[in-house]
Amino acid sequence: MSDADLIRSARFRQERESDWRRLSDLVDKAEGQGLHRMSFQEARDLADLYRQATTSLSIAREISLDRGLLEYLEALTSRAYLSVYAPQQRLGGIIRKFLTSGGPQAMRSSWRVTLLGFLCMAAGAIAGYFFYFDNPEWFFVFMPTELAGGRGPDASTDYLRSVIYGEEDGSGLGAFATYLFSHNTRIAIFVFGLGAFLCAPTVLLLFYNGLILGVFYALHIDRGLGWDLFGWLSIHGVTELSAICIAGAGGLKLGLAVLFPGQLTRRAALRDAGHDAVKLALIAAMMLVVAALLEGFGRQLVQDRTTRIAIGWGIGALWLLWFCMGGRKRS
Amino acid sequence: MTQPKLDRLLPPEGVPLYFRVAGVGVRMAAQFADILITGVGAIALFLLLLAIDVVPPEALVAVAAMLFFIIRIPYYAASELVWNGQTIGKRMMKIKVVSADGQALTTQSLVVRNLMKEAEIFLPGTLVLTLTADALIPSLISLAWILGVIAVPVFNKRSQRLGDIIAGTYVIHLPKPILLPDMSKAIKPATATQPRFQFLTHQLEHYGAFELQTLEGFLRGAARSTGPEAHKRKKETMAAIVEQVRRKIDYADAVRPEDQLAFLKAFYKAQRAFLEQRQLFGDKRADKFHAEADKQG
Repeated sequence: MSDADLIRSARFRQERESDWRRLSDLVDKAEGQGLHRMSFQEARDLADLYRQATTSLSIAREISLDRGLLEYLEALTSRAYLSVYAPQQRLGGIIRKFLTSGGPQAMRSSWRVTLLGFLCMAAGAIAGYFFYFDNPEWFFVFMPTELAGGRGPDASTDYLRSVIYGEEDGSGLGAFATYLFSHNTRIAIFVFGLGAFLCAPTVLLLFYNGLILGVFYALHIDRGLGWDLFGWLSIHGVTELSAICIAGAGGLKLGLAVLFPGQLTRRAALRDAGHDAVKLALIAAMMLVVAALLEGFGRQLVQDRTTRIAIGWGIGALWLLWFCMGGRKRS
Repeated sequence: MTQPKLDRLLPPEGVPLYFRVAGVGVRMAAQFADILITGVGAIALFLLLLAIDVVPPEALVAVAAMLFFIIRIPYYAASELVWNGQTIGKRMMKIKVVSADGQALTTQSLVVRNLMKEAEIFLPGTLVLTLTADALIPSLISLAWILGVIAVPVFNKRSQRLGDIIAGTYVIHLPKPILLPDMSKAIKPATATQPRFQFLTHQLEHYGAFELQTLEGFLRGAARSTGPEAHKRKKETMAAIVEQVRRKIDYADAVRPEDQLAFLKAFYKAQRAFLEQRQLFGDKRADKFHAEADKQG
């Protein structure tokens, strides 16, 4: 059939069909083996042909009533769009960026909520401390039994000491895994996840966790084991309790965005807060892994009180250094 | 035919594209496939650890949970990064993550949406599996949590879950480009045995784009070969259509049964050329009621 016999939209299609087919092949290739394995020529053609196809699509929408053609062009352009606009970064680069700048910057920009998280837990700890000296029975109210492990106002001082310095059931990989999924990790996940529900659960949980800490500490002070417990807790607790507070700060950020979105819609505010909140959660997760390592391996190997305190607070200082100095631009 | 949920996305080129939003069901299927894949990986690693005997028996469950965790955290973010918004499960279900603002997916948004998956899916999931009947209040809380998590995408225009909202992404069905032949080119030149059908302008004034495209669909179906039973039914439908068209457009000459297909094809081409020309002049005719719509407008 000669060209003159064709109607306008059919001519339009005939002139461009070979380009579309080539684009379709290139898209298949890009989807199958990835953009970065294509040659320069092919990648350039893909981008060029994609832009031509978008033009064809917008013309076809105006001039053509051929449904087969319209559906094909819609699908082809969409498919090409998805492979042209693929993520450009590599995973390694993003991890380095997070460690060197993104993470510490997020910490610095949300120091207020982080402080709030620490304050919530500290308030709980102080309250718990005074509760215990008011009446030791409070210990049983706040402390979950599986966490106490036999330690309580009824236990002998020798038993308490033996837990602090004695041999533990296991160490190494098993202990590491156990501690990683221990009470504190669960608390950290909850304070983060529940933050989006208007902050209250996060604040309450942080306070409650502080209460547990307070009564536990008061029990040991009562028996004259204050410094020994301090060492036992310090070696991993500095990192672990900080991680809980930081996870709580992330949750509070989400909750505050929902409560006080300001000029934005709640959805946009949640999205904005989400960037920092997720970084805080990642930092908390890293810290929990380190804490589990310290608890699973370090606490067994180091039995001396002073060394335990030094290790715990030394690592805490390293974290602080990272948060304060990481990712600052040289002026 | 019900129109699937379409969503408009504006790429930087400024030509809007329309995607079918993937529903909760197909996404759950993809999620199950992914859980299966990561689970098998975790079990393999676990058996390896058992074989080299480094796992103390009392920590078996904790180690298994840790392995599953270690495998699945990087799996989702890395696979969506490498395969441009698709995990293996999503590839199997032919769905894909896209960025709602029309730009390329960023690594950050992929990491965010997959970390939120921990809080949204795995945490309540593990809770339900681990909790027993005597822990009533935690069970109720986690049940409420799961219901809340499922409710978010169900009552959402783009079926976004919380992680999608925070990351600014949503999930679509991958469109499949199939180039069908142009029906206006399928006309055989007129011969002695086959007359040439001519249509006048007033005969083409009746129909609109909807009828044209319905006819297009029928002609495409007629080209496909089927069994004798279906062939007979198709013949009857074609005769009915030809009759209807002839009556509507006042086509005086009778159409012989063997010419019916040629008649419809010729009519399709003439009608399409006419409607496309009207459209170029700004007169879009959606369907056969266009005259009444014009009067009202």
